[in-house]
Amino acid sequence: MPKRIPIDKALPGQILAEKLTRHDGVLLASQGSEISEGLLRMLARMNIDSVVVEEQESRTAEQVEADFNLFTEQLELRFIRIEPQSVLQALKKTMLYLAEKERDETLALINNPAPDETTEHISQDGAEESEQKADGDQPANSR
Amino acid sequence: MATNLQIQDRVQAKKEVRRIKNLPTVPGIVAKISRMVENPETSAAEVGRLIAQDQVLSAKVLRMANSAFFGMSRKISSISQALVILGFEVVKGLVLTSSVFDMIQKSMAGLWEHSIGCAAASGAVATLLGRDDAEEILVAGLLHDLGKVVLALNLPEEMRLVQQRVNSGPILFYEAENQLLDFDHSELGQWLAEHWNLPESLAEPMRLHHRPEKAVLKPECTAIVHIADIIVRAKGFGNAGDLLVPPVSNAAWEMLGLRKTDFLPILEMLEPKLASLCDLTSIS
Repeated sequence: MPKRIPIDKALPGQILAEKLTRHDGVLLASQGSEISEGLLRMLARMNIDSVVVEEQESRTAEQVEADFNLFTEQLELRFIRIEPQSVLQALKKTMLYLAEKERDETLALINNPAPDETTEHISQDGAEESEQKADGDQPANSR
Repeated sequence: MATNLQIQDRVQAKKEVRRIKNLPTVPGIVAKISRMVENPETSAAEVGRLIAQDQVLSAKVLRMANSAFFGMSRKISSISQALVILGFEVVKGLVLTSSVFDMIQKSMAGLWEHSIGCAAASGAVATLLGRDDAEEILVAGLLHDLGKVVLALNLPEEMRLVQQRVNSGPILFYEAENQLLDFDHSELGQWLAEHWNLPESLAEPMRLHHRPEKAVLKPECTAIVHIADIIVRAKGFGNAGDLLVPPVSNAAWEMLGLRKTDFLPILEMLEPKLASLCDLTSIS
């Protein structure tokens, strides 16, 4: 999950989730590259105040499960008033599907931490697979 | 055409809001820009110079112009550049938003986050539908709940009662408003929009985002903001006053030609934007 953080919170070793450009558009670092101490010094000189990094997982598998369960409980409560509306049922189902996907991907990362290059490879494959799965999982078109 | 009932509603709402003594005044700079834009001789550079005179305001506007809202590949570094790239109406909307930012922040915890979330979702739905006015619709999403700001700041006692009712059971904010006050924030929004002379692309979504099937002037823009409001509430991003997903208008849904499978690409487009927009939560 990409996250924008102020430059003083950025640490060497974090992965850029978006390419980084100078105010005039010149590329400074590409998406997916690792933040180095040199890059941080350069950004400070250029008055760039924030960067978008890949959020690193600090939760345990149990916490991830607990967060997911909390999410589903809250989701049920938000939708408590509109059970019969099929459009909203589809929205709820899609949100649940995305949350399950995120949970499974996070658990896979926790259980099987991989070096950076491989991580990127796996997540790209994973995205493709889940898109195909999504087509099958989604409710039929409403029209 | 407005029905008799709608007109009665409006008369009633106006009667109530007349009690408000200190109406929020239209931000001076917004009134000035509106006057300037009405003059066909005005150039973008002149409007840019006017906005740029207020450095704090221009910084806020540029911060929003460069946020994940618009996903610009190159940084917009001046107001005149923003005017060229995003257009008059969008920049005017951002100036208005920046001017009322403190008001929104003060009114209700989480309302600003709900507003930026609804804006991003409006942009995502409009983009999926291939609208070339996606940026303008995004601004309509940003300002759709200004009526709640009026309620919170100008009718604090009524606001307290509404919140009490919302906390007491699964009831939507606008239902509680209608039960207790006989009007809701959408009517307050309409009244503010008239008072401030806002364009219909902002006024109609403010007035009808809970009844989009009634929209006549900007029906699609209003329908998109309606759907976006539902999506961002479903996500639980920010606070719109209650924790519930409101019912969807099937008429609005069908008019837009959306399909249930469209939720997946919309939510996938929205997720990284919401993560990045967190840094807009304190633009002052």
